[in-house]
Amino acid sequence: MDKVEFCQKLAEILDIEEVKLEDVLNEFEQWDSLAVLSALAMADAKYGVTIRADEIRSVVTAGDLANLVEEKQKQLALKP
Amino acid sequence: MNFTFRRKRISGILVVMPANERCFDEEMKNFNFPPARSLKLKEVMGFDKRRIVTPGVCVSDLSVFGLQKLFERGWLRREDIDALLLVTQTPDHFMPATSCLVHGRLGLKHDVLCLDINQGCAGFVIGLMQAFMLLEQEAVKKAVLINADVLSRKASPKDRNIYPLIGDAASITVLERDTQDSVIYGNVKADGSRAEALIIPAGALRLPSTPETAVLEDVGDRNLRAKDHVFMDGSAIFNFVQTEIPPLIESLLKQAGVSVDSVDYFLCHQPNRFMLEKLADKMKVPYAKMPNNVVEHFGNNGSVTIPTLIAFNLGERLLKESLHVCLAGFGGGLAWSSLLLKLGNMEFNSIVEYK
Repeated sequence: MDKVEFCQKLAEILDIEEVKLEDVLNEFEQWDSLAVLSALAMADAKYGVTIRADEIRSVVTAGDLANLVEEKQKQLALKP
Repeated sequence: MNFTFRRKRISGILVVMPANERCFDEEMKNFNFPPARSLKLKEVMGFDKRRIVTPGVCVSDLSVFGLQKLFERGWLRREDIDALLLVTQTPDHFMPATSCLVHGRLGLKHDVLCLDINQGCAGFVIGLMQAFMLLEQEAVKKAVLINADVLSRKASPKDRNIYPLIGDAASITVLERDTQDSVIYGNVKADGSRAEALIIPAGALRLPSTPETAVLEDVGDRNLRAKDHVFMDGSAIFNFVQTEIPPLIESLLKQAGVSVDSVDYFLCHQPNRFMLEKLADKMKVPYAKMPNNVVEHFGNNGSVTIPTLIAFNLGERLLKESLHVCLAGFGGGLAWSSLLLKLGNMEFNSIVEYK
């Protein structure tokens, strides 16, 4: 996964210039239910994975979210 | 589970829409969020105007008003109602059934089946299926399906998750036997293990309403709601729709042996514009074939969204011609259900205002 691109997508969702992998999502004022929903939709449309609401709430940083998406993609690839 | 129905048709739809209109730009002042984020929400979800009842208006009020309009205009004779089905999650009382209250207020005949059905956003499609099943009985020549909810009365004005999208309305759908040899395909699914994704926690017998259940609480997402209020887990519902609805419709089309291209319209429940666009993307259906403009004009009025969509967008057209449509409802329960039918040559298909 291209993590720079992932961060760009997150920045678009949050309507800000830049998101770094170490940024804590909850510290963004814009990280609200709309942003969460948009992130779920992005993971589904762009990366083909479904993230549950409780999973997304448990991640701390943008990097954690990228790792979660990547992990889900790997699991999907392993399925017969 | 798959169903087929033969020689049945929808002969008319009348939507009863409260005249009381609310506007998102005014209401966003109530939310505990920066205005810029609320405006973004408006743009993405398609929130703008919505219709809700004025204080005190109940499901039976909207329903009686609509049926009286049908009698006045000669679109339905009171003696022709052999079954009166009413789908609601906001009944006038625990008991008796609201369908019986409607029956009583209109002085309808005793030779009738009155039945309330507790279904939310899947309730139009599920209600139609129940009506089609009743029409198998020789004694039932016309079935009347009422879909009605006044959920705004159970939503917290300080909950941005749900308050700005809720609408109230009722619809009356008349169903009868078709003289042509038509076939309607349907399917239905349920998963009660996800019941808590859409719930009013208090107010019934598991957790009766008390002063404590009326206290507004912030559960950590800047929204304030009480246990007496409706709760929706938006992310869980989004995943539910994206995961379950494409295969539901795919399986329906397969059962009927038709392709996506041969369907004129996919008339889906209207949660908000965002979810419908994502659903259309996933199903590779052009947006024009899956209209999503109910929320911006009327709000999400639960099981009334599909009749609203039909009357608002195809009102005149369906009086003269017939279209091949797929209906899909999905929501509380969780429950999800779809139908494939020819819809048209209707005797009435319009919206009236309730004042």
